[in-house]
Amino acid sequence: MSGGTIYTETLVHSAPEQFVSEAPYQLIIVTLDEGAHRVTGRMAPHGDRVAIGDHVDFDYDRNGIPYFRKPAQ
Amino acid sequence: MRSVVVAGIGKTAFGVLADRDLRSLAVEAGEKCLENAHALNSQVEAFYLGNFAGPSFVGQNHLAPYVAGAMGITGIPATRFEAACASSGAAFYQAVMAVAAGIHDVVLVVGVEKMTSQTTPKVAEILAGAGDSTGEVRAGATFPALFAMIARRHMYQYGTTREMLAAVAVKNHANGAKNPQAHMRKVITLEQAMNGKPIAEPLTVYDCSLVSDGAAAVLVTTAERAEEFTSKPVRVLGISQTSDYVALETKADITRFDAVQCAAKKAYQMAGLEPQHIDLAEVHDCFTIAEIIATEDLGFVAKGKGGPYVLQGKTALNGERPVNTSGGLKSKGHPVGATGVGQICDLVMQMRGEAGERQVERARTGLAQNLGGSGATAVVTILGVQ
Repeated sequence: MSGGTIYTETLVHSAPEQFVSEAPYQLIIVTLDEGAHRVTGRMAPHGDRVAIGDHVDFDYDRNGIPYFRKPAQ
Repeated sequence: MRSVVVAGIGKTAFGVLADRDLRSLAVEAGEKCLENAHALNSQVEAFYLGNFAGPSFVGQNHLAPYVAGAMGITGIPATRFEAACASSGAAFYQAVMAVAAGIHDVVLVVGVEKMTSQTTPKVAEILAGAGDSTGEVRAGATFPALFAMIARRHMYQYGTTREMLAAVAVKNHANGAKNPQAHMRKVITLEQAMNGKPIAEPLTVYDCSLVSDGAAAVLVTTAERAEEFTSKPVRVLGISQTSDYVALETKADITRFDAVQCAAKKAYQMAGLEPQHIDLAEVHDCFTIAEIIATEDLGFVAKGKGGPYVLQGKTALNGERPVNTSGGLKSKGHPVGATGVGQICDLVMQMRGEAGERQVERARTGLAQNLGGSGATAVVTILGVQ
Protein backbone atom coordinates (compact mmCIF):
# COMPACT_ATOMS: atom_id res chain seq x y z
CA MET A 1 0.00 0.00 0.00
CA SER A 2 1.54 3.32 -1.05
CA GLY A 3 -1.23 5.88 -0.94
CA GLY A 4 -4.49 7.07 -2.39
CA THR A 5 -7.15 9.77 -2.59
CA ILE A 6 -9.59 10.76 0.16
CA TYR A 7 -13.06 9.49 -0.84
CA THR A 8 -14.66 10.82 2.33
CA GLU A 9 -13.69 11.80 5.88
CA THR A 10 -14.94 12.92 9.26
CA LEU A 11 -13.39 14.36 12.39
CA VAL A 12 -14.67 12.19 15.24
CA HIS A 13 -15.27 14.08 18.51
CA SER A 14 -17.52 11.59 20.28
CA ALA A 15 -15.56 8.33 20.31
CA PRO A 16 -16.48 4.80 21.31
CA GLU A 17 -15.25 3.70 24.73
CA GLN A 18 -11.96 2.19 23.58
CA PHE A 19 -10.89 5.32 21.62
CA VAL A 20 -12.05 8.10 23.95
CA SER A 21 -8.47 9.09 24.81
CA GLU A 22 -7.58 9.52 21.11
CA ALA A 23 -10.45 11.89 20.18
CA PRO A 24 -10.71 14.01 18.15
CA TYR A 25 -9.32 11.91 15.31
CA GLN A 26 -9.87 11.96 11.57
CA LEU A 27 -11.45 8.83 10.13
CA ILE A 28 -11.05 8.44 6.37
CA ILE A 29 -12.02 6.21 3.47
CA VAL A 30 -9.23 6.16 0.91
CA THR A 31 -9.45 5.08 -2.72
CA LEU A 32 -6.07 3.40 -3.16
CA ASP A 33 -3.84 4.28 -6.09
CA GLU A 34 -3.52 0.59 -6.88
CA GLY A 35 -6.73 -0.97 -8.19
CA ALA A 36 -9.30 1.67 -7.12
CA HIS A 37 -10.01 -0.44 -4.02
CA ARG A 38 -11.17 1.47 -0.90
CA VAL A 39 -10.02 1.09 2.70
CA THR A 40 -11.12 2.68 5.95
CA GLY A 41 -8.28 4.13 8.00
CA ARG A 42 -7.11 7.08 10.00
CA MET A 43 -4.98 10.12 9.56
CA ALA A 44 -1.88 9.67 11.70
CA PRO A 45 -2.14 11.82 14.82
CA HIS A 46 0.32 14.58 13.90
CA GLY A 47 -2.34 17.15 13.22
CA ASP A 48 -2.63 16.70 9.44
CA ARG A 49 -6.25 17.27 8.36
CA VAL A 50 -7.48 16.35 4.90
CA ALA A 51 -10.57 16.86 2.70
CA ILE A 52 -12.23 14.88 -0.10
CA GLY A 53 -9.94 14.70 -3.13
CA ASP A 54 -6.68 15.19 -1.20
CA HIS A 55 -3.87 12.72 -1.83
CA VAL A 56 -2.45 10.85 1.17
CA ASP A 57 0.52 8.51 1.67
CA PHE A 58 0.42 5.32 3.69
CA ASP A 59 2.29 5.86 6.94
CA TYR A 60 2.01 2.79 9.17
CA ASP A 61 -0.22 -0.06 10.26
CA ARG A 62 -1.55 -0.42 13.81
CA ASN A 63 -3.75 -3.32 14.80
CA GLY A 64 -4.58 -4.03 11.16
CA ILE A 65 -5.69 -0.43 10.48
CA PRO A 66 -3.82 1.72 7.95
CA TYR A 67 -2.73 5.20 9.08
CA PHE A 68 -2.05 7.85 6.44
CA ARG A 69 -0.27 11.22 6.34
CA LYS A 70 -0.16 14.16 3.96
CA PRO A 71 2.59 13.82 1.31
CA ALA A 72 5.81 15.68 2.08
CA GLN A 73 5.81 19.10 0.35
CA MET B 1 -50.62 -15.23 -1.21
CA ARG B 2 -53.27 -14.12 1.27
CA SER B 3 -54.03 -10.45 1.91
CA VAL B 4 -52.44 -9.27 5.16
CA VAL B 5 -53.52 -6.51 7.54
CA VAL B 6 -52.32 -4.77 10.67
CA ALA B 7 -55.20 -5.28 13.11
CA GLY B 8 -53.76 -3.79 16.28
CA ILE B 9 -51.03 -1.46 17.55
CA GLY B 10 -49.44 -0.74 20.91
CA LYS B 11 -46.55 1.48 22.02
CA THR B 12 -44.86 2.58 25.18
CA ALA B 13 -43.63 6.14 25.47
CA PHE B 14 -40.07 6.47 24.10
CA GLY B 15 -37.48 8.14 26.31
CA VAL B 16 -35.11 7.73 29.23
CA LEU B 17 -37.22 5.37 31.30
CA ALA B 18 -34.90 4.77 34.25
CA ASP B 19 -37.35 2.72 36.30
CA ARG B 20 -38.28 0.33 33.47
CA ASP B 21 -36.50 -2.82 32.27
CA LEU B 22 -36.53 -4.40 28.82
CA ARG B 23 -39.13 -7.00 29.62
CA SER B 24 -41.64 -4.65 31.20
CA LEU B 25 -41.44 -2.33 28.17
CA ALA B 26 -41.95 -5.17 25.69
CA VAL B 27 -44.83 -6.59 27.72
CA GLU B 28 -46.53 -3.20 27.98
CA ALA B 29 -46.41 -2.70 24.19
CA GLY B 30 -47.55 -6.27 23.53
CA GLU B 31 -50.47 -6.06 25.96
CA LYS B 32 -51.56 -2.65 24.65
CA CYS B 33 -51.53 -4.13 21.15
CA LEU B 34 -53.66 -7.14 22.10
CA GLU B 35 -56.08 -4.82 23.88
CA ASN B 36 -56.19 -2.53 20.84
CA ALA B 37 -57.08 -5.55 18.67
CA HIS B 38 -59.53 -7.00 21.21
CA ALA B 39 -57.40 -10.16 21.03
CA LEU B 40 -56.57 -12.75 23.66
CA ASN B 41 -53.01 -13.93 24.20
CA SER B 42 -54.30 -17.45 23.44
CA GLN B 43 -55.13 -16.35 19.88
CA VAL B 44 -51.50 -15.53 19.07
CA GLU B 45 -50.02 -18.26 16.85
CA ALA B 46 -46.47 -16.93 16.63
CA PHE B 47 -44.48 -14.31 18.57
CA TYR B 48 -41.72 -12.44 16.75
CA LEU B 49 -39.44 -10.10 18.69
CA GLY B 50 -37.27 -7.44 17.06
CA ASN B 51 -34.31 -6.54 19.26
CA PHE B 52 -30.82 -5.41 18.32
CA ALA B 53 -28.60 -5.78 21.35
CA GLY B 54 -30.44 -6.90 24.47
CA PRO B 55 -27.57 -9.25 25.34
CA SER B 56 -25.09 -6.33 25.30
CA PHE B 57 -27.33 -3.60 26.75
CA VAL B 58 -28.97 -5.58 29.54
CA GLY B 59 -27.21 -8.97 29.61
CA GLN B 60 -30.23 -11.05 28.65
CA ASN B 61 -30.35 -13.64 25.87
CA HIS B 62 -33.20 -15.90 24.74
CA LEU B 63 -35.36 -12.80 24.60
CA ALA B 64 -38.42 -13.89 22.62
CA PRO B 65 -39.68 -16.59 25.01
CA TYR B 66 -38.48 -14.38 27.90
CA VAL B 67 -40.94 -11.67 26.83
CA ALA B 68 -43.69 -13.98 25.51
CA GLY B 69 -43.67 -15.96 28.75
CA ALA B 70 -44.18 -12.77 30.75
CA MET B 71 -47.30 -12.18 28.62
CA GLY B 72 -48.55 -15.66 29.41
CA ILE B 73 -47.79 -16.82 25.88
CA THR B 74 -46.25 -20.29 25.58
CA GLY B 75 -46.52 -23.26 23.27
CA ILE B 76 -45.95 -21.33 20.03
CA PRO B 77 -42.87 -20.30 18.01
CA ALA B 78 -41.25 -17.36 19.80
CA THR B 79 -38.22 -16.04 17.95
CA ARG B 80 -35.96 -12.99 18.12
CA PHE B 81 -34.89 -11.21 14.92
CA GLU B 82 -31.70 -9.15 14.83
CA ALA B 83 -30.93 -6.87 11.90
CA ALA B 84 -29.33 -3.89 13.65
CA CYS B 85 -31.69 -0.87 13.57
CA ALA B 86 -33.99 -2.80 11.21
CA SER B 87 -34.52 -5.63 13.72
CA SER B 88 -38.24 -5.15 14.19
CA GLY B 89 -38.72 -4.26 10.52
CA ALA B 90 -37.25 -7.69 9.79
CA ALA B 91 -39.51 -9.32 12.40
CA PHE B 92 -42.53 -7.59 10.86
CA TYR B 93 -41.48 -8.75 7.39
CA GLN B 94 -41.36 -12.36 8.60
CA ALA B 95 -44.78 -12.01 10.26
CA VAL B 96 -46.30 -10.69 7.03
CA MET B 97 -44.69 -13.55 5.07
CA ALA B 98 -45.95 -16.20 7.52
CA VAL B 99 -49.52 -14.86 7.39
CA ALA B 100 -49.47 -14.32 3.62
CA ALA B 101 -48.21 -17.86 3.11
CA GLY B 102 -50.94 -19.37 5.27
CA ILE B 103 -48.57 -20.70 7.93
CA HIS B 104 -50.08 -18.60 10.73
CA ASP B 105 -53.28 -16.52 10.94
CA VAL B 106 -52.32 -14.30 13.88
CA VAL B 107 -48.76 -13.12 14.63
CA LEU B 108 -47.77 -10.68 17.36
CA VAL B 109 -44.66 -8.64 16.54
CA VAL B 110 -42.93 -6.69 19.31
CA GLY B 111 -39.86 -4.48 18.96
CA VAL B 112 -37.92 -3.37 22.03
CA GLU B 113 -34.64 -1.82 23.16
CA LYS B 114 -33.44 -0.74 26.58
CA MET B 115 -30.42 1.51 25.98
CA THR B 116 -30.13 4.26 28.54
CA SER B 117 -28.66 2.28 31.41
CA GLN B 118 -25.25 2.45 29.65
CA THR B 119 -22.86 5.43 29.31
CA THR B 120 -22.67 7.28 25.96
CA PRO B 121 -19.25 5.81 24.94
CA LYS B 122 -20.51 2.33 25.83
CA VAL B 123 -23.72 2.87 23.81
CA ALA B 124 -21.57 4.04 20.86
CA GLU B 125 -19.47 0.89 21.19
CA ILE B 126 -22.48 -1.46 21.33
CA LEU B 127 -24.13 0.27 18.35
CA ALA B 128 -20.86 0.04 16.42
CA GLY B 129 -21.35 -3.72 16.60
CA ALA B 130 -23.66 -3.26 13.61
CA GLY B 131 -20.63 -2.18 11.55
CA ASP B 132 -17.68 -4.25 10.31
CA SER B 133 -15.74 -5.15 13.45
CA THR B 134 -12.62 -6.17 11.50
CA GLY B 135 -12.35 -2.90 9.56
CA GLU B 136 -14.20 0.38 10.08
CA VAL B 137 -15.04 -0.27 13.74
CA ARG B 138 -11.44 -1.22 14.58
CA ALA B 139 -10.40 2.06 12.92
CA GLY B 140 -12.59 4.01 15.35
CA ALA B 141 -15.85 4.37 13.45
CA THR B 142 -19.06 5.02 15.35
CA PHE B 143 -22.42 5.23 13.59
CA PRO B 144 -22.39 9.03 13.76
CA ALA B 145 -18.93 8.86 12.12
CA LEU B 146 -20.13 6.56 9.31
CA PHE B 147 -23.11 8.81 8.56
CA ALA B 148 -20.87 11.89 8.85
CA MET B 149 -18.73 10.40 6.06
CA ILE B 150 -21.90 9.77 4.04
CA ALA B 151 -22.98 13.38 4.64
CA ARG B 152 -19.58 14.75 3.57
CA ARG B 153 -19.77 12.83 0.32
CA HIS B 154 -23.39 13.89 -0.33
CA MET B 155 -22.39 17.53 0.25
CA TYR B 156 -19.43 17.10 -2.11
CA GLN B 157 -21.38 15.43 -4.92
CA TYR B 158 -24.69 17.33 -4.72
CA GLY B 159 -24.03 20.58 -2.91
CA THR B 160 -26.10 19.60 0.12
CA THR B 161 -25.57 22.15 2.91
CA ARG B 162 -25.46 22.19 6.71
CA GLU B 163 -28.67 24.23 6.58
CA MET B 164 -30.45 21.44 4.69
CA LEU B 165 -29.34 18.88 7.27
CA ALA B 166 -30.54 21.16 10.05
CA ALA B 167 -33.92 21.58 8.30
CA VAL B 168 -34.57 17.85 8.85
CA ALA B 169 -33.99 18.21 12.60
CA VAL B 170 -36.14 21.35 12.85
CA LYS B 171 -39.04 19.70 10.99
CA ASN B 172 -38.89 16.47 12.99
CA HIS B 173 -38.70 18.28 16.32
CA ALA B 174 -41.72 20.39 15.30
CA ASN B 175 -43.64 17.17 14.60
CA GLY B 176 -42.38 15.36 17.69
CA ALA B 177 -43.52 18.26 19.88
CA LYS B 178 -47.08 17.28 18.86
CA ASN B 179 -46.54 13.60 19.74
CA PRO B 180 -47.38 12.80 23.38
CA GLN B 181 -45.24 9.62 23.22
CA ALA B 182 -42.13 11.30 21.79
CA HIS B 183 -38.82 11.28 23.68
CA MET B 184 -37.92 14.95 23.12
CA ARG B 185 -41.00 17.15 22.69
CA LYS B 186 -39.07 20.31 21.99
CA VAL B 187 -39.27 22.73 19.09
CA ILE B 188 -35.81 23.84 17.90
CA THR B 189 -34.70 26.63 15.56
CA LEU B 190 -32.57 26.34 12.44
CA GLU B 191 -29.89 28.40 14.18
CA GLN B 192 -29.79 26.04 17.16
CA ALA B 193 -29.64 23.00 14.90
CA MET B 194 -26.74 24.46 12.93
CA ASN B 195 -24.70 25.31 16.00
CA GLY B 196 -24.87 22.15 18.07
CA LYS B 197 -21.95 20.43 19.71
CA PRO B 198 -19.92 18.53 17.07
CA ILE B 199 -20.19 14.73 17.28
CA ALA B 200 -18.50 13.69 14.03
CA GLU B 201 -18.06 16.57 11.59
CA PRO B 202 -20.16 17.78 9.82
CA LEU B 203 -22.78 16.22 12.14
CA THR B 204 -23.66 17.88 15.43
CA VAL B 205 -25.73 16.58 18.29
CA TYR B 206 -28.81 17.95 16.48
CA ASP B 207 -28.15 15.71 13.47
CA CYS B 208 -28.22 12.54 15.56
CA SER B 209 -31.25 10.54 16.67
CA LEU B 210 -31.83 9.94 20.35
CA VAL B 211 -30.69 7.10 22.57
CA SER B 212 -33.98 5.86 23.96
CA ASP B 213 -35.77 3.10 25.80
CA GLY B 214 -39.07 1.90 24.38
CA ALA B 215 -41.16 -0.78 22.76
CA ALA B 216 -43.80 -1.07 20.04
CA ALA B 217 -46.06 -3.88 18.86
CA VAL B 218 -48.40 -4.77 16.00
CA LEU B 219 -50.83 -7.62 15.47
CA VAL B 220 -50.66 -9.09 11.97
CA THR B 221 -53.51 -11.18 10.55
CA THR B 222 -55.38 -11.89 7.32
CA ALA B 223 -57.77 -9.47 5.63
CA GLU B 224 -60.38 -12.21 5.96
CA ARG B 225 -60.12 -12.38 9.77
CA ALA B 226 -59.53 -8.65 10.32
CA GLU B 227 -63.07 -7.86 11.45
CA GLU B 228 -62.68 -10.19 14.46
CA PHE B 229 -60.14 -7.68 15.76
CA THR B 230 -60.80 -4.21 14.40
CA SER B 231 -63.15 -2.02 12.42
CA LYS B 232 -60.14 -0.16 11.00
CA PRO B 233 -57.78 -2.71 9.43
CA VAL B 234 -54.79 -1.32 7.54
CA ARG B 235 -53.69 -3.42 4.58
CA VAL B 236 -50.09 -4.34 3.84
CA LEU B 237 -50.06 -3.50 0.13
CA GLY B 238 -46.37 -4.16 -0.42
CA ILE B 239 -43.31 -5.15 1.58
CA SER B 240 -39.71 -6.07 0.86
CA GLN B 241 -36.54 -6.69 2.83
CA THR B 242 -33.15 -6.60 1.14
CA SER B 243 -29.48 -6.75 2.14
CA ASP B 244 -26.18 -5.20 1.13
CA TYR B 245 -22.53 -5.32 2.30
CA VAL B 246 -21.95 -4.26 5.90
CA ALA B 247 -18.77 -2.19 5.54
CA LEU B 248 -19.28 1.34 4.20
CA GLU B 249 -16.03 1.20 2.19
CA THR B 250 -17.41 -1.67 0.06
CA LYS B 251 -20.29 0.38 -1.37
CA ALA B 252 -19.80 1.79 -4.88
CA ASP B 253 -21.51 5.08 -3.98
CA ILE B 254 -22.18 5.90 -0.33
CA THR B 255 -24.64 8.71 -1.17
CA ARG B 256 -27.34 6.13 -1.84
CA PHE B 257 -28.47 2.92 -0.16
CA ASP B 258 -28.80 0.19 -2.78
CA ALA B 259 -30.71 -2.03 -0.33
CA VAL B 260 -33.33 0.70 0.15
CA GLN B 261 -33.65 1.35 -3.58
CA CYS B 262 -34.04 -2.38 -4.21
CA ALA B 263 -36.57 -2.91 -1.39
CA ALA B 264 -38.55 0.15 -2.50
CA LYS B 265 -38.71 -1.06 -6.09
CA LYS B 266 -40.03 -4.46 -5.01
CA ALA B 267 -42.52 -3.00 -2.51
CA TYR B 268 -43.89 -0.53 -5.07
CA GLN B 269 -44.19 -3.36 -7.58
CA MET B 270 -46.05 -5.58 -5.09
CA ALA B 271 -48.41 -2.73 -4.21
CA GLY B 272 -48.89 -1.70 -7.85
CA LEU B 273 -48.02 1.86 -6.84
CA GLU B 274 -45.47 4.53 -7.76
CA PRO B 275 -43.71 6.98 -5.42
CA GLN B 276 -46.13 9.77 -6.34
CA HIS B 277 -49.02 7.69 -4.94
CA ILE B 278 -47.60 7.73 -1.39
CA ASP B 279 -49.43 10.21 0.87
CA LEU B 280 -47.02 10.15 3.81
CA ALA B 281 -43.93 8.30 5.01
CA GLU B 282 -42.07 7.34 8.16
CA VAL B 283 -38.39 7.09 7.19
CA HIS B 284 -35.30 6.05 9.10
CA ASP B 285 -33.76 9.39 10.14
CA CYS B 286 -31.10 7.91 12.42
CA PHE B 287 -29.14 10.96 11.22
CA THR B 288 -30.46 13.97 9.32
CA ILE B 289 -28.54 12.97 6.18
CA ALA B 290 -30.29 9.57 6.26
CA GLU B 291 -33.71 11.21 5.85
CA ILE B 292 -32.46 13.29 2.92
CA ILE B 293 -31.09 10.17 1.23
CA ALA B 294 -34.26 8.19 2.05
CA THR B 295 -36.47 10.68 0.21
CA GLU B 296 -34.19 10.23 -2.81
CA ASP B 297 -33.91 6.42 -2.59
CA LEU B 298 -37.69 6.07 -2.25
CA GLY B 299 -38.21 8.12 -5.42
CA PHE B 300 -39.99 11.06 -3.76
CA VAL B 301 -37.41 13.42 -5.27
CA ALA B 302 -34.55 13.15 -7.79
CA LYS B 303 -31.09 11.98 -6.67
CA GLY B 304 -29.20 14.76 -4.95
CA LYS B 305 -32.30 16.93 -4.46
CA GLY B 306 -33.33 15.63 -1.03
CA GLY B 307 -31.73 18.62 0.71
CA PRO B 308 -33.68 21.35 -1.13
CA TYR B 309 -36.81 19.15 -0.85
CA VAL B 310 -36.83 19.32 2.95
CA LEU B 311 -35.57 22.93 3.12
CA GLN B 312 -38.51 24.03 0.94
CA GLY B 313 -40.98 22.45 3.36
CA LYS B 314 -42.23 19.76 0.97
CA THR B 315 -41.99 17.11 3.70
CA ALA B 316 -43.42 19.23 6.54
CA LEU B 317 -46.67 18.29 8.28
CA ASN B 318 -48.59 20.56 5.89
CA GLY B 319 -46.30 19.90 2.91
CA GLU B 320 -47.02 17.93 -0.27
CA ARG B 321 -45.73 14.68 1.25
CA PRO B 322 -45.32 14.72 5.03
CA VAL B 323 -42.30 12.71 6.22
CA ASN B 324 -41.90 11.60 9.83
CA THR B 325 -45.07 13.13 11.20
CA SER B 326 -44.32 11.21 14.43
CA GLY B 327 -41.16 13.26 14.96
CA GLY B 328 -38.97 10.53 13.50
CA LEU B 329 -36.05 8.91 15.24
CA LYS B 330 -34.72 12.43 15.84
CA SER B 331 -37.47 13.62 18.17
CA LYS B 332 -39.73 10.63 18.83
CA GLY B 333 -36.64 8.64 19.82
CA HIS B 334 -34.76 5.61 18.54
CA PRO B 335 -34.95 2.57 20.80
CA VAL B 336 -33.18 0.64 18.06
CA GLY B 337 -35.07 -2.65 18.13
CA ALA B 338 -38.45 -0.93 18.49
CA THR B 339 -38.04 1.50 15.60
CA GLY B 340 -39.29 -0.60 12.65
CA VAL B 341 -42.53 -1.64 14.33
CA GLY B 342 -42.86 1.84 15.84
CA GLN B 343 -42.93 3.29 12.32
CA ILE B 344 -45.76 0.90 11.39
CA CYS B 345 -47.72 1.96 14.50
CA ASP B 346 -47.25 5.64 13.60
CA LEU B 347 -48.49 5.12 10.04
CA VAL B 348 -51.48 3.08 11.24
CA MET B 349 -52.43 5.90 13.64
CA GLN B 350 -52.38 8.38 10.75
CA MET B 351 -54.31 6.04 8.47
CA ARG B 352 -56.98 5.42 11.12
CA GLY B 353 -57.27 9.17 11.74
CA GLU B 354 -56.00 8.79 15.30
CA ALA B 355 -52.86 10.97 15.11
CA GLY B 356 -54.29 13.88 17.11
CA GLU B 357 -52.52 17.21 16.69
CA ARG B 358 -50.21 15.83 14.00
CA GLN B 359 -53.00 14.22 11.91
CA VAL B 360 -52.56 14.88 8.19
CA GLU B 361 -55.57 15.33 5.94
CA ARG B 362 -54.70 12.76 3.34
CA ALA B 363 -53.44 9.44 4.71
CA ARG B 364 -54.67 6.64 2.49
CA THR B 365 -51.27 5.23 1.51
CA GLY B 366 -48.28 5.27 3.83
CA LEU B 367 -44.71 4.04 3.45
CA ALA B 368 -42.28 2.95 6.16
CA GLN B 369 -38.54 2.65 5.52
CA ASN B 370 -36.40 0.96 8.18
CA LEU B 371 -32.61 0.85 7.78
CA GLY B 372 -30.08 -1.44 9.46
CA GLY B 373 -26.52 -0.25 10.05
CA SER B 374 -25.12 1.89 7.26
CA GLY B 375 -27.50 0.24 4.81
CA ALA B 376 -26.84 -3.51 5.00
CA THR B 377 -30.51 -4.20 5.79
CA ALA B 378 -33.50 -2.32 4.45
CA VAL B 379 -37.19 -3.00 4.96
CA VAL B 380 -39.77 -1.00 2.98
CA THR B 381 -43.48 -1.42 3.73
CA ILE B 382 -46.43 0.18 1.96
CA LEU B 383 -49.73 0.34 3.85
CA GLY B 384 -53.14 1.30 2.54
CA VAL B 385 -56.73 1.89 3.62
CA GLN B 386 -59.86 2.06 1.47
